[in-house]
Amino acid sequence: MGKGGRRAYAALSLVAAGALVLSGCSEGGSKEGNNKEDKENAQRQQSSIDFGDAKASTGPAAEVPGAKPGGTVTVLQRDSYAHLDPAQIYVSDEMALSQLIHRGLTGYKATSDDGKKHEVVGDLATDSGKTSDGGKTWSYTLKDGIKWADGSAITATDVRHTFERLFAPFVANGPTFIQQWLADTPGTAYRDLLKDGPYKGKHLPDTVLETPDAKTIVFKFKKAKPDLPYALAMAGYSIVSEAKDTKEKYDKSPMTAGPYKIQEFKSGKSMTLVKNTNWDPNTDPIRHQYVDRFAIAFNKQFEDSTKAILDGSGANATAVSFNNEVDAGNLSKILGDASLKSRTISGYQPYVGQIDINLTHPEMQNKTVREAIAYALPITPFVRAYGGAAAREVAGGLISPTVSGYNPNFDPFGKKKKPAGDPVKAKELLEKAGKVGLKLTFGYINTPEGQQYSTAMAAGLEKAGFDVQRQEIPAETYYDQVGKVENNFDIYHTAWGADWPSASTVIPPLYDGRQIQDGAANYSHINDDKVNADIDKASTITDPVKAAEAWNAINEYIVKDVVSNIPTAYYKQTQIAGANIGGLVYDDVIGGVDPRRLFVK
Amino acid sequence: MTSSTDIEGGGTPVLVDGDTEPTAETGTRVPVGRSPGQLMWLRFKRDRAGVISAYVVILFFLVGLLAPLISQLYGKNPYTVYADERPELFDSAGVPVQPNGGISGEFWFGLEPGNGYDVFTKLLYGIRNSLGISLAVTLATVLTGIVLGVAAGYLGGRTDFLISRVIDFLLAIPAQLFFIASMPVVVSLFVSPRDETPVYVRVVALIAVQWFLGWMSLGRILRGTSLALREREFIEAAKVSGAPPGRIIRKEILPNVVTPILVQATYMLPNFVTAEAGLSFLGVGLVEPTPDWGQMFSKAATELVMQNDITYMFFPGVSMIIFIVAFNLLGDSVRDAFDPKTAR
Repeated sequence: MGKGGRRAYAALSLVAAGALVLSGCSEGGSKEGNNKEDKENAQRQQSSIDFGDAKASTGPAAEVPGAKPGGTVTVLQRDSYAHLDPAQIYVSDEMALSQLIHRGLTGYKATSDDGKKHEVVGDLATDSGKTSDGGKTWSYTLKDGIKWADGSAITATDVRHTFERLFAPFVANGPTFIQQWLADTPGTAYRDLLKDGPYKGKHLPDTVLETPDAKTIVFKFKKAKPDLPYALAMAGYSIVSEAKDTKEKYDKSPMTAGPYKIQEFKSGKSMTLVKNTNWDPNTDPIRHQYVDRFAIAFNKQFEDSTKAILDGSGANATAVSFNNEVDAGNLSKILGDASLKSRTISGYQPYVGQIDINLTHPEMQNKTVREAIAYALPITPFVRAYGGAAAREVAGGLISPTVSGYNPNFDPFGKKKKPAGDPVKAKELLEKAGKVGLKLTFGYINTPEGQQYSTAMAAGLEKAGFDVQRQEIPAETYYDQVGKVENNFDIYHTAWGADWPSASTVIPPLYDGRQIQDGAANYSHINDDKVNADIDKASTITDPVKAAEAWNAINEYIVKDVVSNIPTAYYKQTQIAGANIGGLVYDDVIGGVDPRRLFVK
Repeated sequence: MTSSTDIEGGGTPVLVDGDTEPTAETGTRVPVGRSPGQLMWLRFKRDRAGVISAYVVILFFLVGLLAPLISQLYGKNPYTVYADERPELFDSAGVPVQPNGGISGEFWFGLEPGNGYDVFTKLLYGIRNSLGISLAVTLATVLTGIVLGVAAGYLGGRTDFLISRVIDFLLAIPAQLFFIASMPVVVSLFVSPRDETPVYVRVVALIAVQWFLGWMSLGRILRGTSLALREREFIEAAKVSGAPPGRIIRKEILPNVVTPILVQATYMLPNFVTAEAGLSFLGVGLVEPTPDWGQMFSKAATELVMQNDITYMFFPGVSMIIFIVAFNLLGDSVRDAFDPKTAR
């Protein structure tokens, strides 16, 4: 699960590009959305995602209310797509595109029209997966009538090829979960299982991956992997055609199976998607095919895409961006404009920010001191620096509202009531520990936002009696420096996003004490016997709802009883679309606009 | 940095300078003997713009000097994060809720968007820090300029050649780029990795890098004037009478280069103020939370402030414009007072 750093970086660059915020002349204050949304989130209560059966996995997908076919949607994107080969896709931009062109064994079906409720269902497979022995063996059966864009049938051989080529040396950018599970090794040692991939005639043995007939695939793991249906839904595990595999070149022109195919791709400039006539809606419970064409243009900065969509003339009336958010300068103007309300969507990104307390330093091993930090730390500076309540929401725990098991009432240090910190209580604790005036080295990321929030956080900690020493860390090497086990800092801020809506992609990489090493994501170096044991236990629970509860229990124990990580904020964003775009929904799983539901009014 | 035209402009007055200045109009009474300094003072007092500018400049220096006292009377300091202390005055993005950047009877100049620092005390301390640093740079560059410039001009020969080439070399270095590149390096030389960079290190580094590339223009001018003075009769006379070089420099040359030094210094100081502000604006000078003029500009240029609180820009902007204009007018007046022959 080691690629979180990349997601953390993605958060970083997003945030850096997002800069600051808000508008309105000098009339005082910036306008904000109301609190209704927050209440809705609180009502969502421990939302969880079920694994769907054969019935739930049968197409077609439920119609989007008011949808009609036809038209062209203009898509304004900041970055060109670097990878189109599913095996190389691990960045949110390409993941969003992948929803339209690629298909996997499983996928997320929206079970409500607001993009908040989901179910994992079979996409190419008839269901989300069958296991008979508690998650060690998983078998999938392919649906009838599934075809590639060229009309040839998708078979179990293609599926086998998809997973075997993940071991080839040129595949270096995608997720590595399933490869590690199959090889039962951590890190990159899995490559030894099939050194050159399937290209030199070797294949994975039947004891690992079995394809008994043209429609059946069986995964066999040494340890229980109850999260396989989630993992298979990642864009990085979408199916690759064996017949059309061109290895490295596949990254520029892949064979696709989704409702749209790539008509033209000028890297760095534009891309055109047209309908795939060989896609059968009756085999697909997830996607729609309303729009005739998607005309994607690259190099549109947040400001450009926002202005173009606001302008609304010509093609801009049907413009949208899959990944660009509303730029900081226009945000409050747009949120305050009632006429734009139906054209904007806001929601959570998967990232959760936290202050890591470096447990390697002897002074930080005193729990009372850590509690004092937790009480004293003001969260408001962090929220302010990134644009206020529309961009960041004060967090109670380490599990995001988009992940199963989120508990909105968990807030052990009263951060939601007192987001500016509780210096009085912190001072008491610090006096109890006899550590008033303790030197606290605060490593902060040297961006304008980092400077702003770290100074105010330091001021808050100093009120409680700490002697805060702020240390700037260059943004380019930030995660490398705080990722070192022997670093000079006592506290630092990191963010992490779940790879799928289960805390199994959050808790083990961040808080498993056996994973401590340079570059690993256990930034606070927590090594707690109870946490380690509970992680092992939770990893084997096959029922997703019970597993979510178990993961949340670990989260609450870490925040409240170990106090090694102080949650700061859940990341949010706002996106905007042209007046003639219909079916505009913020999808919590995608973490942005849902491209599959769009239509032209 | 002064441009080469300034160098020439500042260099000319000396040669025509006035120990030979005839007493202007005598009338019937016996002419009063006045020293050049007294004459300059008389002329300066007659220049109204100059006098007003002088008062403004003095006011700024007083404000800087008395900033802690004023803040104490006013009851606030520039380090308090009011966005956390008084959250009711701000929205969640840290923009003051009150109109005009939160100006009120309590916060005279309003509150800074973001962390909500008090703008009035921040400006006072910003002026104090910026002027203090610039004054130190000016003093250091003037001293260096005198020592090296006069030495080169008077001693001549190899010394002159060496110093002049060093000056040429340093003048060729692009100053602004050099500051930006060298500031972090200079700072990191002095700081232990567990501690925060102390403010004084940044201040010393700021002074050092600006001094390093700031003294050459004055040095060149003084070299030129000393070179000319060296050939004058009174120096020859002193030499013939057996005075040692040190004494000649101190007693004969230095009194005659006071004019270019004063004129140049009054031109240089505002330049250093803007250079220092520029460095802080670019993020390599003083950093938050240490108040600084230039850093207030960089805050004012952020999207947050531009879109929500344009009033904020007013205070650092207007105060700096007033200061720079006043100081430049003062510089002109000083030059005119020393050298009335050069018509404006």
